[in-house]
Amino acid sequence: MAIDTQKIIQAIMEGSKYRDAKGIIPIFGVYLSLFSVDYYNKLSFEFELMMEPSRQTKAEQLLIDAAQECGYATFHGIRTSKEWEKIVQPMIETQEDELQGFISVAIGLGWGNIELVKLVPGENLVLRATESYEADGYISRHGLSKSGKCYMLRGVSAAFMDLIYGDSYPEGYNTFTAIEPKCRAKGDDFCEFVVQKSHKKEYTC
Amino acid sequence: MALIKWEKDLTRKGGQVLLSSLPIAMHCHHYNINLQAMLEETFGEIGIDLMCRSAEEATYSMFREYFKRYPNIKTIKSRIELACTLYQSCGLGIIHFVSLDEEGGEAVSPFSHYVTGWLAKHGKRDTPGCHFTRGWIAGLCNLLYEKHLGYFKVAEVACKMMRHETCVFKIAGSHR
Repeated sequence: MAIDTQKIIQAIMEGSKYRDAKGIIPIFGVYLSLFSVDYYNKLSFEFELMMEPSRQTKAEQLLIDAAQECGYATFHGIRTSKEWEKIVQPMIETQEDELQGFISVAIGLGWGNIELVKLVPGENLVLRATESYEADGYISRHGLSKSGKCYMLRGVSAAFMDLIYGDSYPEGYNTFTAIEPKCRAKGDDFCEFVVQKSHKKEYTC
Repeated sequence: MALIKWEKDLTRKGGQVLLSSLPIAMHCHHYNINLQAMLEETFGEIGIDLMCRSAEEATYSMFREYFKRYPNIKTIKSRIELACTLYQSCGLGIIHFVSLDEEGGEAVSPFSHYVTGWLAKHGKRDTPGCHFTRGWIAGLCNLLYEKHLGYFKVAEVACKMMRHETCVFKIAGSHR
């Protein structure tokens, strides 16, 4: 059975309209918040600028790590949630389906239109995204970039592979790493994330 | 009375989620708390200030657009009520303004996304940690009283992350 992305998006949109008496949105095993993308973009790109030029790579890596660790914990919570069991699990027959389920959830969360381009099971993955809010945000704040700026999606792409092809949770974290060779913030038509095995495997969750 | 039409306000356009006409993202406590921890560990007070300013600027812009959508809600009191309702609708928690005027005031938050998220991931902390909410309050106050960004300063004098009973925010205009 193919993954029905629209059905998953619909479930997220409906679920995000429910909050408990404390004003908290518990859905898919996590606490969800809805807030302006301007917040995330200002925070990320000013954080980068605050680093000395010699430590720019360090800033990038911290932002990517924050997202990869988040993606790893978040999507583990998601795939073990009752909502996943009810809505997504019945559509899953293969590991690729599970990956597509993750992608559908990410689209539902407003992270962009994300498309699976290539998957070599256990080895590498290529995702493409349009409407990444990070690329849009970078261009509107700073103009064209010389490097990829979608740190959140880059970390999350690697986390998807960690969860599906890494060791059992939580040992599989950092099994994979991602690069972003194409990014709309650089003027490319889409953002592309290439995920491959990592050499930095260490558990830091 | 339902202040906002949430069903109509929260929509999609392609891969974007829109609140009114503004792009928003849904993020969970793992990411929000990871960003906060990264800022605090890397830059200390400067990182905390960045988090506050980011929330302040985004809140200011968001409500500037949002209040246009509800032109009949004009008074400061009703706009505060609308803002607090939206805070809750966005899963950010519960917030009440005990007092507020151009000089400043006080707000309390008995529950919040950041408190719940921080305690779930890291447990109790020794310093106040609701930097996002401080920025959110400042951004809203600046807009309500037509002040520039940075005019209102918000300090958190009690925090549930420190196991206080509730989070308490003192608001002061810059001239104070």
